Amino acid sequence: MSSLTSALPPAEGMGPRVARWGLYLILLLFAAYYLLPLVVMLSTSFKSLDEIRTGSLLSLPRDISTDAWIYAWTRACIGADCRGMAPYFMNSLVIVIPAVIISTLFGALNGYALTKWRFRGANVVFAMILFGSFLPSQVMLLPMAQTLGFLGLAGSAGGLILVHVVYGLAFTTLFFRNYYVSIPDDLVKAATIDGAGFFQIFTKIMVPLSLPIMVVTIIWQFTQIWNDFLFGASFAAGGAQPVTVALNNLVNTTTGVKQYNVDMAAAMIAGLPTLVVYALAGKYFIRGLTAGSVKG
Amino acid sequence: MATLSINNVRKQYGSVEVLKGIDLSLTDGEFLVLLGPSGCGKSTLLNMIAGLETISAGEIRIDQRVINGVHPKDRDIAMVFQSYALYPNMTVARNIGFSLEMRGQSKTERDGAIQRVAKLLQIEHLLDRKPAQLSGGQRQRVAMGRALVRDPKVFLFDEPLSNLDAKLRVDMRTEIKKLHQRLGTTVVYVTHDQIEAMTLASRIAIMKEGVVQQFAPPQEVYERPANMYVASFIGSPTMNFIRGTLAAEGDRLGVSVWQDRTASDGGPCRFLPLHEAPAQADRWLGQEVILGVRPEAITCYDPTMAAGNPALVKVGCPVSVLEPTGADTITYIQLSGQEVVARIKPSDTPVEGEVADFMIDMGRANLFDPKTEQRL
Repeated sequence: MSSLTSALPPAEGMGPRVARWGLYLILLLFAAYYLLPLVVMLSTSFKSLDEIRTGSLLSLPRDISTDAWIYAWTRACIGADCRGMAPYFMNSLVIVIPAVIISTLFGALNGYALTKWRFRGANVVFAMILFGSFLPSQVMLLPMAQTLGFLGLAGSAGGLILVHVVYGLAFTTLFFRNYYVSIPDDLVKAATIDGAGFFQIFTKIMVPLSLPIMVVTIIWQFTQIWNDFLFGASFAAGGAQPVTVALNNLVNTTTGVKQYNVDMAAAMIAGLPTLVVYALAGKYFIRGLTAGSVKG
Repeated sequence: MATLSINNVRKQYGSVEVLKGIDLSLTDGEFLVLLGPSGCGKSTLLNMIAGLETISAGEIRIDQRVINGVHPKDRDIAMVFQSYALYPNMTVARNIGFSLEMRGQSKTERDGAIQRVAKLLQIEHLLDRKPAQLSGGQRQRVAMGRALVRDPKVFLFDEPLSNLDAKLRVDMRTEIKKLHQRLGTTVVYVTHDQIEAMTLASRIAIMKEGVVQQFAPPQEVYERPANMYVASFIGSPTMNFIRGTLAAEGDRLGVSVWQDRTASDGGPCRFLPLHEAPAQADRWLGQEVILGVRPEAITCYDPTMAAGNPALVKVGCPVSVLEPTGADTITYIQLSGQEVVARIKPSDTPVEGEVADFMIDMGRANLFDPKTEQRL
């Protein structure tokens, strides 16, 4: 790509250069627009309450103080429970990690079965699964509440894991199915003759080839499940609530002086894991989204 | 080492019959080539032998054992795919050893077998590489290594050379032939390339629309094609089909070549005596027939050769076009107005536009029924 652009003749005159800088200026404005809330949140979370009251919203903190972060993590009151965000953060991890792993693995298995073991009616099954990704999540609330009650999982982390796995399967199956379509069927035929069975072909050949789409699916599912509020608020009771619900309760139920710095720190804590996942696996995300479009 | 017999095998997809009753039987160590254009059902038949497609009717036996319901892995076959189908995530060594791994052999046993095959195919230096790091020819070797390692009863090849460039294809073709001579394993090989079929096969089965047209050794297929389809599929340039009538002149039976009245420079209607009479010659006397003559059976007239061989018939024909290929000159001549292709030695090349003398080797001629297109 770079050799291609360098081979092109350079732009002549002032016109193109002005246009180019204008373009950069607009891009900078957009970036600032999106980054400003994050900057305000971060700077507020490092200010003391006094400074918030006296200073302006946009000013940077004079003395950087981590008190608000420590308070939000360990002592802030979520409703009547004053143990901070920490236990709820753990709740979210306990829900998110198994839900992501299970939904990704089953999505891979579904995609594999739908593309490489084309049973009668495979397309109908796929169409029905695909339809699941168009369902608004509110539609699931009442039937799911009944199901969880029936299974004895109501109000528990296990119940939320089940909800997220079921809801996520439509998406993960879609991702893996579209990825596996581009893997040649001859591989499966060769492995069948070599003596590998359904699961051996899956674990020894398909899964090792799935890294790009695996990363896409994990990021997608992690973000969806971590950021979920509706299911968490509906199906988790009290101490089992995920961090998003806890954040809402913390911000909405404080009495007396509003501790903006604690609110901001808590919001940052709640949003941090998704940022970390993007930072770590972002380049695979782009690669996975474009996988299959170019022959490897 | 095994025999393979295919008895009245059929394949249906819904109401479409793809294979319409295939009967083939191979003795131990034979090299069968399934030859035909795309869509003739040859790959379907191969997949059915492999167990990758179900058999709608009929039966397939390997060493007398019916394998219709046997899982591919238990059929004791190995297959080489057109796309090679190497596992991209595994090294060459693991690719070759995968079937042994699946059969629960220990690492030391596997390593021994992998080394043996790698040595045979001269790919020992590639064992630690991934398929993506190999050239087309190297991938082809690895794919063959994967088939060889298990020492199967039957090898199946599905157009294994069609992804290679022309030069490599010829080299690998020779290599496959050498390998077969060395191992003596029964082989079923699918291709649409007539040269591959002729050079490799001990017997060729030529297929068209799900029916075997002829099942015979290559030379027989070439010299005595069962019908006009086979005759035109094999050989380049293709066999000449000359329209005429079976006639008797004195005590000699021959073909009276039709005069093409649309051609302006057509010669006279002429009589080509046959070297041997076809079966049921009486019934065909006076009927329309098609005379099939290979281009190399028509050469420049040589009086000494013609005197020694009564099958050589002299004809004088105008020459319309010359196409030198180096080894031979493809010469288009007008025989009673019908265009006929001859393969002439460059030293004998006639002049375009002039009439020259040629001789047709009627001992190598074939007669076909114009309606059924079958050989008489």
